[in-house]
Amino acid sequence: MSEQKTFRISEEKRRILLVEDDFINQQMLLESLGGVYDVVMTETGEDALEIIRNQHETLSMVLLDLNLPGIQGTEVLSRIKGNPVYAHLPVIVMTSDSEAEVECLTLGAIDFIPKPYPASKVILARILRTVELSEDRETLRLTERDQLTGLYNKDFFYRYASQLDLYHKDTPTDAIVLDINHFHTINDRYGKAKGNEILKLIAEQALAFVSKNGGMVCRCEADTFMFYCPHFTDYKRLLDCMSVSLDDRESGDSRIRLRMGVYAEADRTIDIEQRFDRAKMAADTVRGNLTNPIGFFDDSMRDAENRAEQLIDDFPAAIREKQFRVYFQPKFNVTKDVPFLCSAEALIRWNHPELGMISPGLFIPLFEKNGLIQALDRYVWSETAAQIRKWKDRLHVSVPVSVNVSRVDLDVPELTGHLKSIMESNQLDMEDIMLEITESAYTDKQDQIVATVKELRKMGFRIEMDDFGTGYSSLSMLLSMPIDALKLDIQFIRHAFKENKDTRLLEIMFLLAKSFQVPTIAEGVETEEQFRVLKSMGCDVIQGYYFSKPLPPEEFEKFFTKH
Amino acid sequence: MLTLETLKEYGADVNTGLSRCANNEALYLRLVRIAAMDLSTDALGKALREGDFKTAFEVAHKLKGGLSNLALTPVAEPIGKLTDLLRAQTPVDYSELYARISEQAKALTALL
Repeated sequence: MSEQKTFRISEEKRRILLVEDDFINQQMLLESLGGVYDVVMTETGEDALEIIRNQHETLSMVLLDLNLPGIQGTEVLSRIKGNPVYAHLPVIVMTSDSEAEVECLTLGAIDFIPKPYPASKVILARILRTVELSEDRETLRLTERDQLTGLYNKDFFYRYASQLDLYHKDTPTDAIVLDINHFHTINDRYGKAKGNEILKLIAEQALAFVSKNGGMVCRCEADTFMFYCPHFTDYKRLLDCMSVSLDDRESGDSRIRLRMGVYAEADRTIDIEQRFDRAKMAADTVRGNLTNPIGFFDDSMRDAENRAEQLIDDFPAAIREKQFRVYFQPKFNVTKDVPFLCSAEALIRWNHPELGMISPGLFIPLFEKNGLIQALDRYVWSETAAQIRKWKDRLHVSVPVSVNVSRVDLDVPELTGHLKSIMESNQLDMEDIMLEITESAYTDKQDQIVATVKELRKMGFRIEMDDFGTGYSSLSMLLSMPIDALKLDIQFIRHAFKENKDTRLLEIMFLLAKSFQVPTIAEGVETEEQFRVLKSMGCDVIQGYYFSKPLPPEEFEKFFTKH
Repeated sequence: MLTLETLKEYGADVNTGLSRCANNEALYLRLVRIAAMDLSTDALGKALREGDFKTAFEVAHKLKGGLSNLALTPVAEPIGKLTDLLRAQTPVDYSELYARISEQAKALTALL
C-alpha cells in the first residue's frame, strides 16, 4: 500500500505496551496480538513507566501483569492514573488473583484478563473493544469540552442539563448566565493571552463553585458562562466567586466587571435552551449597570417574550392581510416667516386583529433583531409609493415622503434594483421619495455602506441621515458621507428641553450642520417653545406633534390640501 | 518425542493451551518444550524444606503462570494448589503436594 493510502488514522496499527516478565506468557500474547497491534514489550514496572513517559501520545493501551519484578503492577497502575498527562491511557491488568481485580478496577484499570488466559480471540476482542471505547471517550472528551477552559461547550452542556432534568424531576433549578462587561476591551488593552488567562481563571472559579454547590457550568461564547444549578438564593455569592482581578490586587479598578442574569426556579416545561435565553435576557437588562449587576427574569419579561413570539408568528399574516398601515407625519419647512409643509415621513402602524393598535416601539426593535424589518421596510416602500401614485392621479399633487432604510437593507445587493423597480412600477419621480438611513448604519462596514448610499444618490434619491448624534460618527467621516439632510436624534430635543433647559448641545449640532452646509431636521417637536428655539437656532425642517401627529392617508390628504 | 498426542496422553488440556496460542501448534509445542526444560522443582523443594514460605510462594507462583497457560494440567494443577495455600499462609504439611509436583514435572520432562 502506498504511503498516501496508509496515511489514515483508521489504517494505523494501534500500539500496545505489554508489561509481562514471563517468557511463555509474553510469547502467547505476542502471538495473539502481534498481527493486529504493534506491541511494545517490557518486563519491569520501572521500564514501563519510562516508556509511558516518553511515548504516551502514541500508545493506545497498556496490558499490565500485576506480579512484576521490582515495582509491582498495582503501583505502576496507580502512577499512571495519578498523572494527569497520561491518566486517560487505558490499562488492562492481567492477574490470577481474583482479589486483586476489584482493587485494580478501583485504581482505574479499565478491565482485567484472568490467568490462566482465556482463548486468544477472547483477549483480542476485549482489547479491541477497550481501544475503541477509549478512543471514543477521548474524542468525546475533546468535543464536549471547550479547549481553552476545559469546561463543557454549549451543545453538550444543554444535553447533560436535559439529562439531569430527567434524573431530578422535582428539584427546582436555576438557569444563570454570566457575561463579562466589555470583554473585547480586555483583549484590546492587555492582549489575547491576558484575556484567555482571565477566562481560564473564571472557569476555574466556576468549576470550584459547582463542585461545592452542585450543578454544572459551561462556556458558551467568548465571554459567556452558563450555570445550571439546584435553586439557591445567594446569587451575589456566585458573582463574587467569579469576580477575578486583572492583576494580583484584590479590589479596585483592576477587577473584571461581570453581569449576571438569573432565571430562578426555571420553568421545566420549556426547552433548556429557552430557559437560558431567558437568563440571557435577564443579563442584558443589567448591561452597563455597575451598581446592580444581577438581573432576574420575571413575569413581565415572560409576558414581553410571549408577546414578541406572538408578533413574530403573526407577522406573515399581517403583511398578507395588510394589517400594517402607513401613516404620514408632516414635516414643515421653518426657514421662512410662515412655516410650510414640505414633506412627510412614512411611519408604520400595526392594527392587530386581536391586540388592536400596536406601538411601533414594540415591534420595530423586535423585527430589527430578527431581520423581519427587511420585509416590513419593503412593505412600507411599496405602500408609500402606491399612495403617492394615488394622490398624483387623483389630486394631481404630491408631497415628498421619506421612508426608513434599515441597516440590514443596505447589506442586500438587490436594494438599489428593488427601489428602482418600485419607483418605476408606480411611475414616480426620484424626488417623490427620500430615504432615511440611521447614522449608526454607517459605523459598521463603513466603506460598503457609503458606496451603496452613493449609488442611491446617483440614482437620484435624496438621503437623510436619521438619529444623527447617536452613531458616534467622526467629523471627518461626516465630510465624506453622501447625505442631503441631518435629522437630529429625538433624544437631543427631549434632553435640551427638559426641566433644566440646556440647549448648548443642540446649538453645536446646528452649527456643525451649517458648516457642512447640510439642512437640518428636528423631530419630536411638541411645543411652541421648542419650535421657536429650534427655529432661532437655524433649524430648517421641523416634524412633530407641534404641527401634526402621524396621520392615516385619508387625513393626511385633507391636511396637505389645506396647507 | 514431544507431540500434541504425547501431551494429550500426559493429561495436558491441549485444545485449551492451543487456543491461547492462537491455535499455532508449532508455537505451542515450542513453548511447552521451553517450559519443560526450565522446569526445575529443586528451588521449590529447598524453600519448602527450610520453611522459607515466602520464597516458596514466589517460585511456585512463577512456575504456575506459564504451566497453567499452556494447560499442562497434571503439573499445573498441584502447583496452583500449592500457590493458593502458600498465599493464604495455610499451616499444612506440603510434602505430599510437593511430591506430586516433582513426579509430574519428571513425567513432563520425560516427553522431551
